Amino acid sequence: MRVALARAAIVAVVLLAWEIAARVGSPLLYVPPSAAVPALRDLLLLRSYPDLPENLLITTREIVVAYGLAVAAGLAVGFALGLYRTLGRVYGPMLAALYAVPAVVWYPSLMLFFGLDAASKIAFGFLLGFFPITLATLAGIRQVNPQLVTVARAFGARPATVFVKVLVPGMLFTLVGGLRTGLALSVVGVIVGEILGSKAGMGALINHAYGLLRTADYVALVVVTLVVVVATDAAASLLERRARRWTE
Amino acid sequence: MTPGRARVVGLQLASVLVVVAAWEGLARAGWVDALFVPAPSAVALSVPSVGREAVAALADTLAKTAVAYALSVVLGVAAGLVLGSARVFESTVRPFVIALYGMPKILVLPWIVLLLGYGTAPAILYGTLHGFFPVAVLVTGAVRDVDRHLLTVARSFGARPLQLYLKVILPAIVPSVIAAMRLGVVFCLLGVLVVEMFAGLRGMGSLMGAFANGFRAPELFAATALVSAASIAIVLGLDAVNDRLSRWR
Amino acid sequence: MARPLIAIEGVGRRFVTLSGAVEAVRDVSLSVTEGEFCTIIGPSGCGKSTLLGMLGGLVVPDAGRVLIAGTAVRGPDPRSVATVFQDPGLFPWRTVVENIEFGLELQGVDRQTRRRTATDLLGPLGLRDFAAKYPRELSGGMRQRVAIGRALAIDTPIVLMDEPFGALDEQTRMLMGEWLLEIWRRTTKTVIFVTHSLNEALALSTRVVVMTARPGRIKSVLELLQPYPRAMESPEMVSLRAKLWSEIREESFRAMGDGA
Repeated sequence: MRVALARAAIVAVVLLAWEIAARVGSPLLYVPPSAAVPALRDLLLLRSYPDLPENLLITTREIVVAYGLAVAAGLAVGFALGLYRTLGRVYGPMLAALYAVPAVVWYPSLMLFFGLDAASKIAFGFLLGFFPITLATLAGIRQVNPQLVTVARAFGARPATVFVKVLVPGMLFTLVGGLRTGLALSVVGVIVGEILGSKAGMGALINHAYGLLRTADYVALVVVTLVVVVATDAAASLLERRARRWTE
Repeated sequence: MTPGRARVVGLQLASVLVVVAAWEGLARAGWVDALFVPAPSAVALSVPSVGREAVAALADTLAKTAVAYALSVVLGVAAGLVLGSARVFESTVRPFVIALYGMPKILVLPWIVLLLGYGTAPAILYGTLHGFFPVAVLVTGAVRDVDRHLLTVARSFGARPLQLYLKVILPAIVPSVIAAMRLGVVFCLLGVLVVEMFAGLRGMGSLMGAFANGFRAPELFAATALVSAASIAIVLGLDAVNDRLSRWR
Repeated sequence: MARPLIAIEGVGRRFVTLSGAVEAVRDVSLSVTEGEFCTIIGPSGCGKSTLLGMLGGLVVPDAGRVLIAGTAVRGPDPRSVATVFQDPGLFPWRTVVENIEFGLELQGVDRQTRRRTATDLLGPLGLRDFAAKYPRELSGGMRQRVAIGRALAIDTPIVLMDEPFGALDEQTRMLMGEWLLEIWRRTTKTVIFVTHSLNEALALSTRVVVMTARPGRIKSVLELLQPYPRAMESPEMVSLRAKLWSEIREESFRAMGDGA
């Protein structure tokens, strides 16, 4: 209770300081909350950007496709590397080394290859989501107690049964963590892609508002995008909690 | 059956060679458009022409990254020490820290550029923003998880608060700090490259953006390979330092 | 009788836990003279460690006070008291000698002097070849010897030992007891030793203090004048053991009933 009050107080102080600083400084540059709120209302009433719904939909669709591909490819590669020891030993370290490269270095190539439309954003969102999912699958398989597999085999379980009854439950927690991180990163990938260069989507609107120095609209667009980000993460965390209950 | 180390390295090299050869073959046969995916030989041939420019741009980027990195580590470790020690304060502000850590920072990039212009400053600020949070979060956890018993032991030997930090907490968190530094350097480099791509006048990010916009695929691929190699080299270097410093583990 | 080095005067202490307040120690008074090996024994959760914590200045009593050489304890005093814990609590990033030097380092003793003090201790500790090893490379018994070395290095008149051998296996434990006795007999140190083990108490102590189940109070005190090393199978020791066991048995039952 007291913690909640303290947190509310922190938020209030930050907003107030922002308001004062913005008024003293440049309201255009610092966009006080008193200017951001009307801009957000205009945005939501489709006055400032009537095409907001279409663009929101485009971004959401890019995220869904990118993440779907990342999950499929990440699970496939992760299981392949985890279940076949030689593959894992050879390609696991190579993947980990690639993970040490800041992913954004691939973006210009993707833009060159896929153009400025949705495909390059999907490709980038896919790339960012793919790594954590693959690595979590690998880690999950490695943490399953080999003793359990042996016991299941001794009881005459066939490989498919071992997979479903022993492997998946044993690794679920780690796997779900990776799926959640993957989603967050797919979202980041799509948004980064859009802001670095796009014709449509929330990133394009943000760039438009920024280019015309419509800073209050820019803040409103950022807020709406953040709501999308928070909503996806909340959904993922709900699933994660479900999974935790299954494993226990 | 587990393959030996020599065989693993051999298979890794062979895989790379096979991919490069297949790629070369496909490109020569005209199955992929050389405008978008140049043959490896074309990329190699572009290295002399692009080399000097790319190395200069990389140096520029790495210099900004170094400043952002130093700031991230110093500020991140300091914040981690404060947050890890002050538990009530930490539990109060934790949601904010996590929210700021998880937020796609690209959303505030246009605003940063608006405030700071197109020079070096936004790259350093944005790079620091990327590096700071993972370092701060990891160090906070490490300070919080320092074995309480070791602190009790040190107090029983008369350690004063400053000595608790110097003799127990700081040495105990060294491995976490190094892990954070390893993670942080990639984040800082990423942040700097993003700013350069978005608004850079100089540096590797803007050079790569220019190559992409000019459809200069061989040069772009060469530049990408150069940045990747530099990044991997930096991380491997930090790993070596880590091994040296945590022999006691 | 010599003047008491340690005077515990009516101390008590409560702790607030999630399941309510717990009275760990109630109205304990005890005097210990210089050179004694005084063992405190009792069931789990009888406040032995709390009492030791008060002597070491790590736990502040709610009631009463502890005097050491006539001065009230107000926090850890590494010039008069050194503590050895059940968990050796070695600093994993320090080698064996560096761990032994720890207390001297805190006191600002110069590098050469403290290195010499620590190195001189390695022989008696049986760690001569392990000076440069890290704790993870040592066995449990060796780790505890390093912890004891760390306490001996600051050369205090009083050494507190909180179940120092509690985590060791039976054989190691007996050997460590013999070894500790050797060390103690060569010095004039006063040792306060907490244990669960009857044999350990009987083999080592000049006095055994039995504490009751929670709240911890002193139930009885047993003086032991038998010379060292003690033949544990002698009829005298066997009957002492039986006497001590009957004292403790009752308290252990009560402690078990408490769910401790």
